[in-house]
Amino acid sequence: MLRRMRRTRAHTALAALGATALALSGCGTGADDDGEAGGELTIGTMTMPQSLDPAEAMGAALPFFQAVYDTLLLREPDGSYAPMLATDWSYDESRTELQLELRDDVTFTDGTPFDAEAVQANLERFPEAGGGQAQTLSDLEEVEIVDDHDVVIHLEQPNPALLFYLSDAAGLMANPNALDDDTLATEPDGTGPYELDTGNTAIGSTWAYTRSDDYWGEDLPYDEVTITVFDNENALVNGLRTGQINSALIQEVDQQDVVADDEDLHTVDQDIDMQSLLLFDREGEMNPALGDTEVRQALNYALDREAMLEHLRSGQGEITNQIFGPESVAYDPELDTYYDHDPERARELLAEAGHEDGVELTLPKMQEIVGDPLATSIENDLGDVGIDVTWDNLDEGDAIQSIMVEQAYPGMVMNNAQPASEWVTIVELVLPGTFNFLGTMDDTIAERTAEIQQAPEGEAADAAQELNRHLVEEAWFVPFYRMTYQHVTDDSVEVEPQSGMAVPSLYNYSPLD
Amino acid sequence: MINFVLRRVASGLVLMVVISVLTFGLLSIPDTDVGRHLLGPAAPQEHVDAHNASLGLDQPIWVRYLDWATAALQGDLGRSWFTSEDVSTTLANRIPVTLSLMLGVTLVTAVVSFTLGVWAGVRRGLVDRLVQVLAVVGYALPGFLITLVIVLVFAVQLGWFPAIGYTALTDSPTGWLATVTLPILSLSIPAIAGVTQQVRSAVIDVLHRDYIRTLRTRGLSSPRIVFRHVLRNAATPALTVLGLQFVGLLGGAVIVEQIFGLPGVGAMTVQYTVRGDIPMIMGVVMTTVIVVVVANLLVDVLIGWLNPKARVS
Repeated sequence: MLRRMRRTRAHTALAALGATALALSGCGTGADDDGEAGGELTIGTMTMPQSLDPAEAMGAALPFFQAVYDTLLLREPDGSYAPMLATDWSYDESRTELQLELRDDVTFTDGTPFDAEAVQANLERFPEAGGGQAQTLSDLEEVEIVDDHDVVIHLEQPNPALLFYLSDAAGLMANPNALDDDTLATEPDGTGPYELDTGNTAIGSTWAYTRSDDYWGEDLPYDEVTITVFDNENALVNGLRTGQINSALIQEVDQQDVVADDEDLHTVDQDIDMQSLLLFDREGEMNPALGDTEVRQALNYALDREAMLEHLRSGQGEITNQIFGPESVAYDPELDTYYDHDPERARELLAEAGHEDGVELTLPKMQEIVGDPLATSIENDLGDVGIDVTWDNLDEGDAIQSIMVEQAYPGMVMNNAQPASEWVTIVELVLPGTFNFLGTMDDTIAERTAEIQQAPEGEAADAAQELNRHLVEEAWFVPFYRMTYQHVTDDSVEVEPQSGMAVPSLYNYSPLD
Repeated sequence: MINFVLRRVASGLVLMVVISVLTFGLLSIPDTDVGRHLLGPAAPQEHVDAHNASLGLDQPIWVRYLDWATAALQGDLGRSWFTSEDVSTTLANRIPVTLSLMLGVTLVTAVVSFTLGVWAGVRRGLVDRLVQVLAVVGYALPGFLITLVIVLVFAVQLGWFPAIGYTALTDSPTGWLATVTLPILSLSIPAIAGVTQQVRSAVIDVLHRDYIRTLRTRGLSSPRIVFRHVLRNAATPALTVLGLQFVGLLGGAVIVEQIFGLPGVGAMTVQYTVRGDIPMIMGVVMTTVIVVVVANLLVDVLIGWLNPKARVS
């Protein structure tokens, strides 16, 4: 009898503990209206904005900015452009003048009108303010004010991606009265659908936004939006599974597997980031062997991409040999498999180039991008044909300095988005600049890129495809595959992926019917 | 006792100066191009140079340290180089999270390990062996594994507690309790294992002393001997270990904060150190030094109160 009483007491205590815990968890987190229309949307992310000053905006952190700022153009989920603060736009024949017609019913929170002067102040400040995207407007000559609600953007040369940039960081419009202060970094002042709730925002971990009562446009579905930054996907997935997060982008395959086992979570796949070995030294300045096209082609033939995709990403992705993605006019499906896995051919090419004894290749290894399995896979495949890879471990703080500034390596493994705009890819990867810091160029590339730059709207496809084929044939890059990322939502929210971006726009979230 | 406390406070202040110089120097050694890291690989070099100059990075290290120290003495810890957040505000937001864990774990560890340690030391036999086995298991299990299992069972599967996030005590006491319970449980298991062994050993040692035998011959009851005499003398080594555990939690909290997505200083310290965010890291280190000095002082005072002989030494 005593034993039964003790057991009953133990059960009662356990039940009480459970009930208390349930009560506590109900009090502690989440509200019943999470994810529902008019309620709160909670987004989890691993991308943190360095600042909320539009001049320091970066594409991957755009939702933080879209909450409080509007862009001149709206980029729809499919990548097309729609009116936002600019209602109409048109190029002149030389494509160096873009006329914008602006809304006349928009004001900033202090009553300052959004007008041509505001556009001029923002656009002319952007390339000068030294933000990470400043170079996207480096062609800007001046912004001419035609009247209060019309401006003309004058460029030094055509920029086929200008509309993309005006729907991105460069197009975010802040109150011109705040541009000279340092306050925008933590106290954003725009015309967007939300205001930063500074009381509930802890910069560095959680940004809370509340609906702006007098927003000029159509209200977004949620009264409150919270974006919380995590430093690992395990926490993100746990938050999704317990309903504390409504939506998050999950990139790691093992976490995608966990999501797949949870019937309450919804996923939308998107192949967006290309993982590749980016070569910088195509003229053999650092590593003479890489100046030979045959050696670069041998690198491409040596990799067993199918095995890599299967073993490293559980087959989640698409093999590719080209830097342009399927949404770009430069994309050619045949080029995805231009280089088969052919170690014998790789050895022949090395021999043809006079490297029968092998080639040595030293590459940087950043743990965030090149995990040990990927490093081993590359090392084994290349080693099998006589290319001896040595990895130098770099931490996050030293990587850019060592790779870009000191130019210590002939290439690096990198993940790059494949945006719809072919010009964005060309500027980022092909033309002298960020990832072509040695300024390598050949006649074909110079001619095709000039053609693309000068081409009227929608007429660059042929030149872009020719450029793409040339880059693949010359083995300028060693792409592996496009990785499948998953947009994961709980049972209250749906999200539409954004063309060319791993992170969906804030406008793409809505309650699940 | 007042002199003792004053001496410890003075040595704490000296420690702060020494550690601030060392930390500032160590953080400056890597020679990370902060401007390049901030603005990205595409930014023109002149923008990078201008940004570095705006952060004072074109100045010699001693000038930068003196600038920082002068401002810090006036209560201005500066702003993060990477997020523009005010360092003091950030610490005010994040320190309570980590302190909640540290104090909670210390409290739970103290209660459970003293209970188990005294029980095992006094009863010996099967109870002692059982406690020892549990302590070894608790100590041997990897902390991150314990944490992952706890969050999976109690948060994801049973749904009893939130899996991520933190609610401030001032916003909701029950919410705060809900969000810190599992992290505290995760961190407490290895801590309890360690301190329990110490308490047990100390209790057994004291029970074998001559004065305990004398007390028994005078007819004092066992509970009175244990609680009035054994515990008091056995507490000294146990409290020392508990104090060390408390300080060690500053580092141990990193993994738990990451797994539970807690916005504390642990995970943040790693992130900001890798980036080379000197103002933020200096703020964290100075706060940490204060916490360590205060914790050690409290432990010393407590030991001195329990055991007057310790005051003399």
